Amino acid sequence: MTTNAPVAWAEKSYLIVDDFQNMREMIKQMLRALGAKKIEQAANGAEAIKLLKAHRFDVVLCDFNMGAGRSGQQVLEEARVTDLIGPASIWLMVTAEKSAEFVMGAAEQQPDEYLLKPVTETVLVSRLNRAWGRKQIFRDIDLAYTAKDYLKAIRLCDENIAKAPVHATELLRMKARLLIKCGESTQASEIFEKILADRDVIWAMTGLAKIYLQDSEFEKAQKLLENVIEGQAYCIEAYDLLALALQKQNQLVEAEKVLIDVAKLSPNSSVRQKNLGEISLKLGNVEIAEKAFRKSIATGEFSVTKNPDAFFGLARICAGKRGDKESQLLLTNVQKMFDTDSVRLRAQITEGLTYHDSGQWAKARQSADALGRMLQTAKEKPDAHLCLEMAELMFATGNKEAPVDLLQDVVKNNNENQALLADVQRVFDKGRMSEKGAELVAAWCNEAKDTMNKGVLLWKEGKLDEAADWLRNARKEWPNNTRFLMNLTHVLISCMQKTGYDPVLLDEARTSLLQAEKLEHDRKRFAKLMESLEALRVANT
Amino acid sequence: MTNELNPQPDLMIFLASSVHDMKNSVSVLSSHLENLLAENTADTLPGYAQTAKMLYEVKRVNCNLVQLLTLYKVGEQHYPFESSEHSVDELVKEVLMQNQSVFESLKIEVTTDYQSDLTWYFDEDLINGVISHALNNASNYTEDKIKLIIRTVDKFLEIRVEDNGRGYPKAMLEQGALLARGVSFATGSTGLGLYFSAVVAGMHKNRGRSGGITLENGGTWNGGCFVLRLP
Repeated sequence: MTTNAPVAWAEKSYLIVDDFQNMREMIKQMLRALGAKKIEQAANGAEAIKLLKAHRFDVVLCDFNMGAGRSGQQVLEEARVTDLIGPASIWLMVTAEKSAEFVMGAAEQQPDEYLLKPVTETVLVSRLNRAWGRKQIFRDIDLAYTAKDYLKAIRLCDENIAKAPVHATELLRMKARLLIKCGESTQASEIFEKILADRDVIWAMTGLAKIYLQDSEFEKAQKLLENVIEGQAYCIEAYDLLALALQKQNQLVEAEKVLIDVAKLSPNSSVRQKNLGEISLKLGNVEIAEKAFRKSIATGEFSVTKNPDAFFGLARICAGKRGDKESQLLLTNVQKMFDTDSVRLRAQITEGLTYHDSGQWAKARQSADALGRMLQTAKEKPDAHLCLEMAELMFATGNKEAPVDLLQDVVKNNNENQALLADVQRVFDKGRMSEKGAELVAAWCNEAKDTMNKGVLLWKEGKLDEAADWLRNARKEWPNNTRFLMNLTHVLISCMQKTGYDPVLLDEARTSLLQAEKLEHDRKRFAKLMESLEALRVANT
Repeated sequence: MTNELNPQPDLMIFLASSVHDMKNSVSVLSSHLENLLAENTADTLPGYAQTAKMLYEVKRVNCNLVQLLTLYKVGEQHYPFESSEHSVDELVKEVLMQNQSVFESLKIEVTTDYQSDLTWYFDEDLINGVISHALNNASNYTEDKIKLIIRTVDKFLEIRVEDNGRGYPKAMLEQGALLARGVSFATGSTGLGLYFSAVVAGMHKNRGRSGGITLENGGTWNGGCFVLRLP
């Protein structure tokens, strides 16, 4: 512990979130006993979010199970994801009993502490002090992490390991996580293996399994994860990873079983239910799939991390089972809920696929044509795999032009991804354009490569402004080519290093790099570029 | 068809939910007593000594209810056991804070002996329960001193609760010996707390070794010693 000075809890601001007035009152009395004056209350998640938007709280005490509306976990996720609380704030989750969802990092967003009901003043103070002590160690690391300056966060971990031996393991765990983010899996593995030399520590085992998965060693990952679950039946994360390992080995029946098991332990995960739905659907277990998709939609309703996937899965099931009406309704709803080009395109392709599935060829054709028209005006394209699916549908309905444009985008944005290029060729094959397709793919790849080389050449010649302009134009045409995006960032950093800091350039460099991060990217390069950007930002603000 | 309710439904379910309910009531009772004692001294509150004794008993009941509930969940495989790394210092501080009112009101002096940067792997809630029980027990047997000693011995974490009383009675030492040998059956005379402690210790495993408990007479003051070992 670095500080032993008592914390001034009287000066802090508090938010109590609980659906029971009595419970809120009780906790308020305890805080009053600590001398606290700034205490706000919320009776449900919506009220809590409103208050969190209006004030910065030092401490949030939130009930986990609040009946209707958002759960405590969903309030926490929304507060963290939308930056309503900073890394210095303390979040205590209050719960009636210990459950699987709390242990071993089942959820991505973890509160600082759990408090079991009935809450006593003694334990409340003890946990507040404990969380505070940990914040002193982790606050700067968390800040660097949030700023995505992973290399700096790693340095801070190393510094603190020597200073705070009591937190050494926790810091090593954080360091390993950061190393993976920086593409340094070998170093992360070394940490995991060092920990595992003495003891079967769950996070080190799952960490190692994640690296196996990343390196496509699916069988090794599977064995390790099965060991984890045998030792700790409540390690939720291990089930999710195991399902993924099985899925990658095409063992869908086994993957489905694992997800059904874990959904019993932890039923309220929108993403997990969606994954179950997708696997069950592939296996033709329509009943299970339908149930899972519905559960996914229901649990996602109040979640900041909700995603539209379950709607599309369910829409295809409904079309098959009960005709087009409910399916259409779902597709309308999903577009209302997620107002993006990408979702509108996906709704359109799903409609086309349902007609195609049920042999309504004329309607499928109409739908695919509408899709082609939408693609021309859409600002953002969906991910590459969905583009391939769309191209396939359009080929299948006899459209030969729109899919070629679409495939051109895919190729130019991913000209170095050999696996994806092979998939593109397969789509051409199915569209009976094998030879022409191969020619086009080669030409597009060359075009992308030439553009890239020109940019690099300008940069090498020291013509930084020209290089930046060249890459800006390239980015306009191929907004998802990670090499262009990172090269642009690199050139802009060079510009600032040469002619001085410029907030507009910094912002442009950052946006470009963050776009790359959303795609499959070179993590080592990302980490280095982000470190340079942060150094520039910190030195000049 | 009759409308009569079965007087013997699945009693376990009722037992579990009632225990949960009782635990909450008892804990409210306990915090009222704590406040009462904190705001008063033997001079300002007639019956201060009796109130202190009441608090001790209420804490005992609370401890027992928590143990019953946990054992039920472990038996039903509903207990999310989690062995993760914790600071021994944080554990000790919290356990002592939770029992401070009892020590103060019974005028028991508690000392500790451990290294503050020591960490170990265990289920925090369960081990807190075991130590609380041992401290509560020692409060009953001790003359006026309790010592909590924590150290690593042969790759085990050893937690000793020693007192300066007359030591455990023979029957209890025998029970302790049975449990330590892994005799898992509980008889009516087996104390719940001791059984709970043995089960919890046994749940902690590492590389083929399990945790355990022993009861001894001896230690610093030649009194009772409760020893918990965790791999």
